[in-house]
Amino acid sequence: MPDNYTDDSSQSAPATPRQRARRAFLLRLLPVAVFSAVGATLATAAFKFLRPRDPQADDEASWTTVAPVSELTAAQPVARKVFVERDAGWTRTREERLVFVLAGDEHRVVSAVCTHEGCEVAWRAQAGDFFCPCHDSVFDARGRRVSGPAQRDLEALPTRIEQGHLQVQYKSFVEDSDGRA
Amino acid sequence: MRRMNERAGTTKQTGTNEARFDERRARRTNFDAIARTLADEPSHGLAAWARTTTGVVVLLLSLQMVTGALLAFYYVPSAADAHATVTFIEKAVSAGSWIRALHYHGSQWLPLALILHLAQMLWRGAYRRRPVGWTATLVLLALVSAESAAGFSLPWDARGFYSTRVAASIAGGLPFVGDAARAWLAGGAELSTLTVSRLYALHVLLLPFLILFTVVARLFLFRETPVEASDETERVEPRTSWTRAQMMRNALTVALVFVALSLCAARWPAPLAPAADAVEAGYLPRPSAQFLWLFQLLKYLPAPLASLAALVVPGLLLGALAVLPFLPHTQAESAARHRPSRFGIAVFSIGLLLVGGLTALAYLEDARNPTIREQLARQTQQEADFRLAPFVPKQTGVVAPNASAADDKTNDPPAAYTDNCARCHGERGEGKFVNPPLIGISARPQRTTADLIHIINDPGSYGLEPRMPSFATKLTDEQKRAIAEWITTLK
Repeated sequence: MPDNYTDDSSQSAPATPRQRARRAFLLRLLPVAVFSAVGATLATAAFKFLRPRDPQADDEASWTTVAPVSELTAAQPVARKVFVERDAGWTRTREERLVFVLAGDEHRVVSAVCTHEGCEVAWRAQAGDFFCPCHDSVFDARGRRVSGPAQRDLEALPTRIEQGHLQVQYKSFVEDSDGRA
Repeated sequence: MRRMNERAGTTKQTGTNEARFDERRARRTNFDAIARTLADEPSHGLAAWARTTTGVVVLLLSLQMVTGALLAFYYVPSAADAHATVTFIEKAVSAGSWIRALHYHGSQWLPLALILHLAQMLWRGAYRRRPVGWTATLVLLALVSAESAAGFSLPWDARGFYSTRVAASIAGGLPFVGDAARAWLAGGAELSTLTVSRLYALHVLLLPFLILFTVVARLFLFRETPVEASDETERVEPRTSWTRAQMMRNALTVALVFVALSLCAARWPAPLAPAADAVEAGYLPRPSAQFLWLFQLLKYLPAPLASLAALVVPGLLLGALAVLPFLPHTQAESAARHRPSRFGIAVFSIGLLLVGGLTALAYLEDARNPTIREQLARQTQQEADFRLAPFVPKQTGVVAPNASAADDKTNDPPAAYTDNCARCHGERGEGKFVNPPLIGISARPQRTTADLIHIINDPGSYGLEPRMPSFATKLTDEQKRAIAEWITTLK
């Protein structure tokens, strides 16, 4: 076995101790630099890869039919299911959502999602109000907040009438947390 | 795992800050112990560079873990979703194609790096002085091969599906345990969504755990037999500076390999064949490069023999290499501790010749046969076209009242459909359990009215899975046409 297996670089050229020290220090940095570069590359890719995607909103597709206007004559709010289609990852998923068509000729529609923590409110025919079973929020027949922890009225949804059918543009208000308790 | 150099306390100091850093690292971390385990035997020149295969193996293993974890954020292990999710990763997710390509090419470079690692240990005669490192490398090679075999099935595309089928057949052809082995692998009598989830669990949990355990055992649990006390390596000072130099060599090689792999992944995306349930007749499934030798070997052997050969040949090769450090060696060999044994070289060369030769033969046969060459070129073109086509999300969720065909009360199915097909494909073609929905399939390739009639007559020729029975004699030609035409109206 040869005896001179010390680091070649420290023997290659006559150098002052200070130069040797600097070179040794730079060489020590190299593995750290390589490790950091590989790590940074992967971290950048991972960030792009994992970043949540916003599905592009298709305006026409976001309108869903609630009911023929001729059927909406009740004196009380009517619960209706609407179907919301949205892109989620590799799926285009169709989900059922509950809305209330309020009484009256203007056919206002409110989302059944409670503005407190997102449970579904129910119409209480006897009391004549909306009641949230989760935390006891109460809204009146126009969807306005009456009592309980909710801070906002029930969310009104954009509506339009197409060929005698009431249509609604369903929206989720999860991210709109302003005014939430 | 990174190697850090030895405690510098006894050597010439380069500065008090550095000394303090070294001191703290020695007290608070295990880096120095790991470095000692890996680098306690200084070598120089070409041998020192050859030993950087260690760094390459560490890099590739870590890359597989990182990219694999990333892919798991989107992948769903079920026969119905696997292909859709991999397509989503390839087409829709930023950097998805590159990350999947890193994982794919990495899975082919890793066994290569392990074989190079074995080769340099053999060349330096290191297997005898370091039996733990040698054995760990062999175990890693076996585990990594199992990993890539299981991983290849996961996209549940045509290639993955057929490779799984071949693997199941190989398992089924084993003497005595064949039927059980096949059923345990497939999760039942037939390949199904259970097969996908089984292979997924093996690929992402069990096998990676065993690989990690092997690495940890090699670094922390076992000690190599100490070299003779008189050995120069006992001297601290040269060892320290050698370790430092070796760290650098590893870093340089690792950087080169990473750049090469990144570019390779950017240039060649990982293949993605058509979904397993949309394979046309005449499709030629080919395994990935590291299994071509086995693929070629199976061409020469009848089924029961093939099963034995598929296990015995790799088993014999790995086994012979595994006993190498423990064989008695001649005096001449003992004297030359740094020379490989003739037996070791023989086994290694036979293995390389066999695997390399069969792989080359597999490529050569495909290239020489014009029919195969054209079909493979067509498949490559189809894959490229598919990659360029925009991503189409898979329809899920509740069926709305206005949800097209399934609710179109005016578009009733023919009576023959309700009597013969509805039990599996649903009253209005919506699909049931594992049986595919028919809504929208007329938009897929190879699903014209004529194709659909062919499928009704002879489903096997279209490679449908789960297997559909033939209705050739159960329906009249008019009924078949009526059913096929009705299916094409389901949009």
